[in-house]
Amino acid sequence: MSSRRSRQSTSSSRITDDQIIELVSKLQQLLPEIRDRRSNKASANKVLQETCNYIRSLHREVDDLSERLSQLLSTIDADSPEAGIIRSLIM
Amino acid sequence: MKARTGYSTSLKQEFLKKWIKGIRIYSNFKKDMNILERKKAIKLSADLAIASTRNASTRWSRTLTANISKNETNKIFVEQIFSDSEVIKKEAPSRLMARSNRIASKKIWRRSHITQIKARKMGPYAVKARSIAKKLVKNRTKVLKSLVPGGENMDGISLIKETLDYIVSLRVQVDVMRRLASAAENSTRSL
Repeated sequence: MSSRRSRQSTSSSRITDDQIIELVSKLQQLLPEIRDRRSNKASANKVLQETCNYIRSLHREVDDLSERLSQLLSTIDADSPEAGIIRSLIM
Repeated sequence: MKARTGYSTSLKQEFLKKWIKGIRIYSNFKKDMNILERKKAIKLSADLAIASTRNASTRWSRTLTANISKNETNKIFVEQIFSDSEVIKKEAPSRLMARSNRIASKKIWRRSHITQIKARKMGPYAVKARSIAKKLVKNRTKVLKSLVPGGENMDGISLIKETLDYIVSLRVQVDVMRRLASAAENSTRSL
């Protein structure tokens, strides 16, 4: 295990194809819209593209939700009903 | 970096607790916020909270925290949040830079040599097509690096691992935020 780690840190270019295939397939499983294809450069491109789109959409969602919450939680102070919800969610 | 596969309830709870804590500290800081400041408080606390669930074990979480702390006004706020828990580590500049220059020149020689051999075997068209495909992957990787915090100096396996962890964490963040938003919406509707 330690030898693999040192090999990785000295030359990240000498990655085995199997390692890449394994990680890329994990990525594919996470992405909402992608079909399993043979792992060549064309589909690697597609996976990367989908990954970037997905991350961007997640960023947008965090931003939209923050916006929505800032309107809903009109007062983030201890006595508001919203604070009660939050408290009950944490318990 | 311990691999984070799916997301568990305890992870969501940890995020929620830290997020709410952050919002409370922020609002103690700044009473009577307008809507824009509230949004900033919510978003900032959410980002800090999800980063802290990693306990500085991933590059993206360290970079995210460091970037937020760079802002002077945020710094005091961040220090308050982390006062009882982790230390804010300053992200060390990548030591790979000097070494990568030496490796890069070796790669360039190797690549041109290999390309010549391939051209003799495969013919010029196949080589061209493959190099175009490689360029596409390279450009997309560049974009990915810009999207994952701290991704600029990473490559290959590390980058993909960081991306995986980052995406899983983002999904936790979105999930919890979404639930809180719909809970708050439902409660205001019934009032």
